[in-house]
Amino acid sequence: MIYHPFFIILLILLSFMLLICLIRAVKGPRVADRLMAVNMMGTMVMVMISILALLLKEGYLVDLCLIYAMISFLAVVVISKVYIGIYEERQHDLKNQEGGVTDERG
Amino acid sequence: MSAVEWIRFIMGSVFVIIGMVIFFTELFGVFHFKYVLNRMHAAAMGDTLGISSCLIGLMIFSGLNFTTLKMFLIIVFLWFASPVSSHVLSRLEVATNGKLSAYCEIYEDVNSLERELADRRNAPKTDTDRQESEPAKEKEAYPS
Repeated sequence: MIYHPFFIILLILLSFMLLICLIRAVKGPRVADRLMAVNMMGTMVMVMISILALLLKEGYLVDLCLIYAMISFLAVVVISKVYIGIYEERQHDLKNQEGGVTDERG
Repeated sequence: MSAVEWIRFIMGSVFVIIGMVIFFTELFGVFHFKYVLNRMHAAAMGDTLGISSCLIGLMIFSGLNFTTLKMFLIIVFLWFASPVSSHVLSRLEVATNGKLSAYCEIYEDVNSLERELADRRNAPKTDTDRQESEPAKEKEAYPS
């Protein structure tokens, strides 16, 4: 069959793209950069899982792909909410420290 | 392989290759732009169009069965999830960047932005417009 080598070539290309996404996630100067790169990696992994489901003729792998999509979406939303909370808490602590210093001086 | 299977393979592989090209464009854009809010524009493209065309190609390969239905469910889920995750990421960037005005213009109020756009529309005789209109006259003068 011609499907087998075609799928193998697609998997190799996708894995190279995944490596480049990983470089972006390591280099990214801000947190949003890294989360965005992780989201892109999730999308490419979903395509890889679907290709594997057709290559191995195992239909249940597509169920895994659906669950992967949901978990990656949940991870992005939860991590960004948590990071916004941590940042605001840190700013609040900084302001409190400055206020405490001025109070001691006064 | 019969002729029908060849046609099916060619149609599916065209869709899959379009999806791979879109993924490559997404990677190029992510490395080309300088700031996160610009990069997000390129990165949201692969989440909807790239994976949609890849999975449509794989659906054509797989034929009519439950695997096709599940792939269609993945596409529909990503249509809903990808804009939400992009929105949450841009909110994260805006909330945690203290020096956002160094990267882009910020309008505190939507009304002020609309007023400025209306001013631009009503007053076309600004400096940039003159600079644009003068070379146009020169170009018109060349053929005569």
